[in-house]
Amino acid sequence: MERRDFSFVALARPGAGRDKKTWEDTVVEQNAHEGLIGARVRRKEDLRLLTGRTQFVDDVQLSGMLEAAVLRSPVPHARIVSIDVSEALEHPGVYAVMTGAEVKEAVSSPQPVIWRMIPDQLIPDGYPLAVDKVRYVGQGVAAVAAKDRATAEDALELIDVEYEELPAVASLEDALAEDAPKLYEDWPSNVSGSTTIPKGDVAAAFADADVVVTESFRFARQTGAPLETRGVVATWDPYTSHLDIWLSTQSPNLARDLLGEVLGISVDKIRVRTPDVGGGFGNKFDFYGEEIVAAILSRSTGRSVKLIEDRMESFVANAHSREQKIDVELAATSDGAITGLRATVYAVLGGQLGTVGIGPCWTTAALMTGPYDIPNAELSVVGVMTNRSPYGSYRGWGQPKSNFVHERMVELLSRRIGMDAQEIRRKNFVPPDAFPYASPVFFYDSGRYADCLDLCEKSVEQAGWLERRDKARADGTAVGIGYSFHVEITAFGPSRILNMAGLQHAGFDEEVVRIDSTGHVTVYTGQSAMGQGVQTALAQVAAQSLGVALDDVTVVVGDTDTCPYTGYGTGASRAAAVGGGAVLTAATRLKEKVLRIAGQILEASPEDLVVQDGRVSVTGAPDKSISMAEIGDASYRRMNGLLPETESPTLEEREVFDPANVAFSYGCTAVLTEVDTETGEVRLLDYLIAHDCGTVINPLIVDGQLHGGAAQAIGGALYEELVYGDDGQIQTTTFMDYLIPTATEIPPFRLEHMATVADHIPGGFKGMGEGGTIGGGAAIAHSVEDALSDYGVSITSLPITPPRLLAAMRAGKDNG
Amino acid sequence: MKAATFEYVRATSVDEVVRTLADDEDAKILAGGQSLVPLLNMRLARPTTIIDISRIDDLSYVRRANGHLEIGALTKHRVVETSELVHRHVPLLADALRYVGHVTIRNRGTIGGSIAHADPAAELPATCVALDAQLVVQGPRGQRVIAAADFFHGYLMTALDPEEVITELRVPVLAKGTGCAVEELARRSGDFALVAVFAAVTLELDGTCREARIAVAGAGPAPVRATAAEAILRGNAVTTDVITAAANAVADATDPPSDIHGPAEYRREMAAVLSRRAIKQATNRANGGV
Repeated sequence: MERRDFSFVALARPGAGRDKKTWEDTVVEQNAHEGLIGARVRRKEDLRLLTGRTQFVDDVQLSGMLEAAVLRSPVPHARIVSIDVSEALEHPGVYAVMTGAEVKEAVSSPQPVIWRMIPDQLIPDGYPLAVDKVRYVGQGVAAVAAKDRATAEDALELIDVEYEELPAVASLEDALAEDAPKLYEDWPSNVSGSTTIPKGDVAAAFADADVVVTESFRFARQTGAPLETRGVVATWDPYTSHLDIWLSTQSPNLARDLLGEVLGISVDKIRVRTPDVGGGFGNKFDFYGEEIVAAILSRSTGRSVKLIEDRMESFVANAHSREQKIDVELAATSDGAITGLRATVYAVLGGQLGTVGIGPCWTTAALMTGPYDIPNAELSVVGVMTNRSPYGSYRGWGQPKSNFVHERMVELLSRRIGMDAQEIRRKNFVPPDAFPYASPVFFYDSGRYADCLDLCEKSVEQAGWLERRDKARADGTAVGIGYSFHVEITAFGPSRILNMAGLQHAGFDEEVVRIDSTGHVTVYTGQSAMGQGVQTALAQVAAQSLGVALDDVTVVVGDTDTCPYTGYGTGASRAAAVGGGAVLTAATRLKEKVLRIAGQILEASPEDLVVQDGRVSVTGAPDKSISMAEIGDASYRRMNGLLPETESPTLEEREVFDPANVAFSYGCTAVLTEVDTETGEVRLLDYLIAHDCGTVINPLIVDGQLHGGAAQAIGGALYEELVYGDDGQIQTTTFMDYLIPTATEIPPFRLEHMATVADHIPGGFKGMGEGGTIGGGAAIAHSVEDALSDYGVSITSLPITPPRLLAAMRAGKDNG
Repeated sequence: MKAATFEYVRATSVDEVVRTLADDEDAKILAGGQSLVPLLNMRLARPTTIIDISRIDDLSYVRRANGHLEIGALTKHRVVETSELVHRHVPLLADALRYVGHVTIRNRGTIGGSIAHADPAAELPATCVALDAQLVVQGPRGQRVIAAADFFHGYLMTALDPEEVITELRVPVLAKGTGCAVEELARRSGDFALVAVFAAVTLELDGTCREARIAVAGAGPAPVRATAAEAILRGNAVTTDVITAAANAVADATDPPSDIHGPAEYRREMAAVLSRRAIKQATNRANGGV
């Protein structure tokens, strides 16, 4: 196994290159009059969302537009012997039929894999539709463009594909078996690559350990299942060769670059517009073959082509995630100091690598020490190809597994040495004075972990859970309380460092703040709105930084022709932190210009001016004031005598922010759970998260993100599983079989907040879109174990289903 | 997920439905559409003609006649679930319908449609079997009445001839002193049952069981009537031992499937657990409890 030195993280030391004065002054000023940053204001988006005024990609209707459908492989592993499309082409209403071989001819490069953490990783060439071979059920084989979707689906049935079936590599065990059939014949095995992240001297740590705890964990496949499936509308202008794309995506700038790369055209000819996005959850960060298929079908037909993934397709064609096997060993002293962690993450990859390659699984390894100061670690990841759908991005991006592992190991150590798990946590936390802290890969910027754990425990007591548990147990009901502590990497991230880690893209953010001729404000952002409230958050930052009302700020998203460039995309919990930071800096600079202009008009020094509610006035002389509208007019229209000769017309600032480091949020989750000991059913009675994400922009949004994230954690812990049979066939292609929790399965949530600012991000913001998802699984597992403490249950795999839990209870009893 | 092409006929009378069915052996009836429309869109059902019966008004009613309730085949689940007559005379039916999907589904799904679809995990077929209900069906040779016990032949298979349509459900009124209970195990609220037990227990004044009706959904290819368990209860005081024996007999009568949501052994074991709870609760209710 290859070992890599991650010493480059030293470059990530926070503090480098930040402009401290600008933002800190602003924050102080904001806090002085309890401004919009931190205000629980209603989201600007919601009126449109709740009244059905939104436009999703399937609502896009263009003149002469065709609709496409993709023929998908019914078999997991086969050679494509022949494809006969002649009958489909003759079907009335069909305009074009395209096979994988034709698509390959039409592109300049294979589908991009932008995360390449393992230098010698074998990365197969994947194309938008299968070429020569299919490697998973649902892989696209051919596509049809027709007058409408129903006709396109009719035509799919007329395409005759002859498959020569090959033995399916249906699971991790199949893939690693000796003499396993190979997905890629020229590879030595089904292993795409492996790497090891070292820290300290792990061999010595284990040799000297008082206690070694060993366990193996399994995580089921999941998908983000956004309410709106993926979709694209492509228009290739045959005369200008411009490609105009409507795409339901979290990363329009990335998509534009990748479209250019694959299609071999310069990006000035590509416009990506993002309509309202009906949920992304990471799935829509990734770049899929359908984007290319629609573009090529448009080019070949000379018409706009809409390609919408339907729900059944979504279960095979949208990113799959989470599936891993992790073998772990933990070394500790008998008094609970964790001295070493050794783990191997087996990434159960699909038949092809997705946009982010092995990225999420590498992150599982990279962040496996969690909030703990573990001096010695050896964290490996092995990527294994199987005949399953490709692995991709999903909220948490590897971290839910890291969290489950370190929290479960803490609990197992607690059982072994008879020390309270919370005490083990406290003993091993990275202490507040150790920040910035070098974890095996990343620098943690700031945190007060023990305070957060205290806050959580105190809140649990105040909520009366201990009495509830006692009372339930006295009545013979199995009720338990479980905790977990998580860290969450956010504010992705420093571009050059991400490049060094293997990312073929950047992580900076660019924001434009403009005051117009009426004194109103427009923020142009490259971040995507996908229901998370980013427009409101950025508007709050701009409004407070400029001193205008929230209603006077409009945030424009979703068009690469008019909005600035953001690296990466809207994922990795970065929009509020890096976008908010950039908006704050741009708006602060813009305010300086406003004050210079107002100073000239009011005949006062800019230092003596204050801006509030869109009015600039002289301190101590409130009748001496001018409105933002008058300043706007003077800057764009009637300048003479008002706009200083030294100032150029217009009021606009542009800020590019490339953070010096990522930022780490963190939290402590507690769950109160009841188990029906006869049926194995788990019911969550109450749920509490104590949380720190630095400066909060809008508590309402933060609460919503934690609620939604926790709901997805509950899904992963108790319900969701993409099941494959031994034959490589997927068995969960409807919501009757893939069980996402509904409102009736979600308990009430209690949230507690504390704020430790990220001092390298303007405003002190940290991201927090994934924390709810990261910490939930372990807390739920621990609550179940606590409820069943009489049974000696040890949960090592997710989801915890009623039949599995009943079996575990019996196994626990048998063992006990 | 777009349906393959089909002819569409909006029927205005039962006679027209029967005629159209006779004309096209690959025709399918559309009532509330809660099962058929997904099957159409997934192209798992490919009828040549869809006969939309949803606009036939005179098939939606709940009324009392001759010791039973008559429920029109097009009556919506939600109407039956909230019917005063049903609550008073056949509370088991109202209890069972609460477990069918969600309210929005019950607002559209019809009684006749659910019975004709005959999903063995569905609540309504098993309830009909437990209650000795009858189905009135109409075909080219006129009307016939089929006992629910003879109606459900297997997974999505019934005694209905291809040219017949269900017009009415007849449910005998339960005797005074009857308590009802439904116990269902589903992965989530509103899902099809892994196992569900429907029980009605009628007690004598001295507390012995005069009559017991128990049926199970999710127990095999068709709803299962647990006659052996009923016999264990009948004529006996409903003690814990008797309940346990009856519950075990229910489990013995099942032949559940295995699928990704639970193995057969689990379902069979749960049939016993749920039966114990259902019989106990039905007995409590027969005694005037809630």
